[in-house]
Amino acid sequence: MDAEKDAARGADDEALKARLEKLSGALESQRQQAEAQKAQDEKSAGPTGETGKALSLGFRVLSEFVAGVLAGGFIGWLLDKWFSTSPLFLLVFGALGTAAGFMNVYRIASRPTFIGSEKSGADKP
Amino acid sequence: MAASGNAIDPIHQFEIQRIIPLKIFGVDASFTNSSLFMVIILAAISILMLYGTSARSVVPGRLQSAAEMAYEFVASTVRSTAGEHGMKFFPFVFTLFMFVLFSNVIGLIPYTFTVTSQIAVTFTLAALVILTVILYGFYKNGMHFLNLFVPSGVSPILLPFLVLIEVISFVSRPISLSIRLFANMLAGHITLKVFAGFVVMLIGAGAWAPLATLPVAAIVLLTAFELLVAVLQAYVFAILTCVYLNDAIHPGH
Repeated sequence: MDAEKDAARGADDEALKARLEKLSGALESQRQQAEAQKAQDEKSAGPTGETGKALSLGFRVLSEFVAGVLAGGFIGWLLDKWFSTSPLFLLVFGALGTAAGFMNVYRIASRPTFIGSEKSGADKP
Repeated sequence: MAASGNAIDPIHQFEIQRIIPLKIFGVDASFTNSSLFMVIILAAISILMLYGTSARSVVPGRLQSAAEMAYEFVASTVRSTAGEHGMKFFPFVFTLFMFVLFSNVIGLIPYTFTVTSQIAVTFTLAALVILTVILYGFYKNGMHFLNLFVPSGVSPILLPFLVLIEVISFVSRPISLSIRLFANMLAGHITLKVFAGFVVMLIGAGAWAPLATLPVAAIVLLTAFELLVAVLQAYVFAILTCVYLNDAIHPGH
């Protein structure tokens, strides 16, 4: 009788365990799904959407280049005004400014991706 | 932004009008439509943040969750870009981000004035950022901050040129920061206005009137696009501020 009971309980336990496993498995897969969904949402949501990202990168490259030339030209114009050597410094600094513009663009382009990698150097002392 | 009356002038919307003329020591300090919208922006931000954080419930309401999202978004941007030390500047970055975001978005509502479409405003913001970077950089690192302009591993012959280029590149930062925001806003609003002008012209063109639906559809798309640009530019402004601040906190790379 005892043995019978034990066997029954054992079978019950087995069934219970199987059910538990199934449930926890379902729970686990659900959680994984939710996490994947969340990651995907984070990827596509917000202003970092694909088109917007490419767009702002393009505009950033343009404005960085123009700003480099403008800054060089401005410094040159100012120096010319101070030393009345027009147009010597304007030409020299205009050229340097163009180089600076290219450097700005190069700096953006040398990063593997746009926003995610802006943190380069963040952990340096 | 819609074509107002019979005059189709895409630039008219950017005109500064004096509401309360005022002169202080010979300086024109009138209260203009630009000032009015700055006040509106500040009021909107204050309402969102003060009212949104007043409830402090565990399950946030709409305003509270908007306020929390804004905080978390900017905080994670600052942390990932300028590191944990950058959180010192969180109030500054958050203020800039919210101001730019609200002025961009409020500017999209027809008949409003876009504060950030004025280069005077955007350049002031950019100059504020760069001055903070320079002052904090020298305060924190002393003369070591100037190492920012000296690239490492360059032959001594090229070094003077590269330092000059680096200096110009640094000077170009506030310019690019301000021009990008201002140009985006200006271009977007002019585009919308020009398309709105097409609608008016086509309706007045007799048999061609049914074609007026095309620019209307374009305006709908462009408005959605402008909303994206408005949010994106606020984000870019904030993240570049963080990148520049990062140079002041950790120079020498």
